[in-house]
Amino acid sequence: MSAAAEFVQVEKTYKSGPFARSGVVAVKGVSLTVPTGSVFGLLGPNRAGKTTLVKLLLALARPTAGTVTRLGRPARDRATLARVGYMHENHAFPRYLSAREVLHFYGGLAGVPGDKLKARAAELLERVGLTDRGQEPITRFSKGMVQRLGLAQALMNDPDLLILDEPTEGLDLNGRQLLRDVVGAHKKVGKTVILVSHVLPEVQELCDQLAVVVAGSVVHRGSMADLLADRKPLEHALTGLYQKGAAG
Amino acid sequence: MTLPDVLRTVRWMVRDTLRQSIATKLFWVMLAVTVTATLFCLSVRVYGDDAPARLDYEVPAVLPEEEVLRIGMEQMKKDGELPATAPVKGTPEFDQLWERAWEKGSAKAKADGVRVMSGRVSFGFGAASAPMGRNRTDSVRYVQLLLAGFVGDTIGVLLALLWTAGFLPTFLEPQSATVLLAKPAPRWAILLGKYLGVVLFVAFQAGAFVGLTWLALGLSTGVWNAEYWLAVPLLVINFAVFYSVSTFLAVWTRSTVASAFGVLLFWALCWAVNYTHHRLIAFPPPGLADGSSLFLDIGYWILPKPLDLGGIFYDAMRAEGFVGQVPELKGVQDQGKFFPWLSVLADGLFAIATLGFAAYEFEQTDY
Repeated sequence: MSAAAEFVQVEKTYKSGPFARSGVVAVKGVSLTVPTGSVFGLLGPNRAGKTTLVKLLLALARPTAGTVTRLGRPARDRATLARVGYMHENHAFPRYLSAREVLHFYGGLAGVPGDKLKARAAELLERVGLTDRGQEPITRFSKGMVQRLGLAQALMNDPDLLILDEPTEGLDLNGRQLLRDVVGAHKKVGKTVILVSHVLPEVQELCDQLAVVVAGSVVHRGSMADLLADRKPLEHALTGLYQKGAAG
Repeated sequence: MTLPDVLRTVRWMVRDTLRQSIATKLFWVMLAVTVTATLFCLSVRVYGDDAPARLDYEVPAVLPEEEVLRIGMEQMKKDGELPATAPVKGTPEFDQLWERAWEKGSAKAKADGVRVMSGRVSFGFGAASAPMGRNRTDSVRYVQLLLAGFVGDTIGVLLALLWTAGFLPTFLEPQSATVLLAKPAPRWAILLGKYLGVVLFVAFQAGAFVGLTWLALGLSTGVWNAEYWLAVPLLVINFAVFYSVSTFLAVWTRSTVASAFGVLLFWALCWAVNYTHHRLIAFPPPGLADGSSLFLDIGYWILPKPLDLGGIFYDAMRAEGFVGQVPELKGVQDQGKFFPWLSVLADGLFAIATLGFAAYEFEQTDY
């Protein structure tokens, strides 16, 4: 099976200043493969390095060492980003835009042709339940509505690789069901989803593969079935891995 | 990434910036300044001769306004047109008397072969007036020079730099930028689009300012100076050059305060270097070391030259007939050492290089 994303011996150190010799080590020697067509969970405690891995994959940050590959091409090759959708938990959309304008703007920059933007935006607004709020400025939106809009913008280019960073933050029950439907639909057509989340029931329900990151290192990788093999609840299994990772 | 992709990215960013400018009310604040200036221009009236077919500034016989009025009064006295009691200043009777005296004085002076070229301009629909320039056209040119050279090129550009300094740092905050930067559009094209959006916004405002004040002055005075339109490209060039510095500071620091005050300080530095360079050429102090002169020459050619842009506009407006040039700039011009188009070209290269540094810094930045 080909890889939708691949990390080989990746390290990332954030320098604390332009002339600083040392810095904060966010990722240490991570090697990881995200198979195409999988729903891949990226789990770990706060400040474990999960979001840094996502940023490296999206070329938002450059690795200090190692190689990152996205959809078969080096991550620095931006062309493949046209096949990627990204939703971020606390993204601040331009407050002067309406929901429809947000979708047109981000869709346009993602490479969606101008003649298809309108129809695609209308379709996605309906899918995330914001059709009747499409013309409203997003300053009037609740956090949950902004999250739904964030999901819609990530889907504008019908991505082959969908990256969801804490997507359930602020979503109500309907919103969470919507997210499950979106991930399920993606998986059904053989596309890849990377899910970074703390909400364990969703991870357990949706993901078939996962990696657990603690203190910048991967302490477990494999299928969800492997992790739950000894019939412990996911929370217990993860707690054990977190403690092991922190100690190591 | 192909050229159409880059153009599409730039177009989206330009459109986004224009929306941002309208949403931040800056668009309307700047338009309100233009409307105020337009109303002021509508209130302007000029009196005096029409412009001669060819400006002839060598003619020294310019009869001062007071002398024209004195001659007029004498002529009215001879003709028995003077009222028994002098009208109070500010009354319609006083204005009528003033206009009649001006008319008679001008006619007499011309009949005697003296060229009367002085004009008079009133503001606020006649609320205040002052002698100005040498004729009607020059009086209007003077008002336009003040509007474009002082209100637009100095106050306007500095305020525009201050007001737009927050556009990029807000946009570059990680919370706003990460999703955008995860799109295939190259970072440099995103930055260029944002820069061009702000410059286009200012170009629109400069066009509205110059266009509306030109129209208002034309309607109120009957004088239509096409040269005034040159203020639009000069204002835009001046802003664009300094906004490239603001862009670099925004990318480097992501701070509105650093971006705003940094660019204002930089403008002051450039003005000082530009002025000092010309002063040392026009009035060289004794014993000036070659090294100092060379150092200043290098600084002059590398840094933007706001004083030079003002000088170019001054020349375009043929302002030498009614207001003095900055002596240092005039000294350089008299020595044949002023190269306006090279100066503009050097400014353009500076802006391109600064944007290049900003783009490089942006490419290297981790989000």
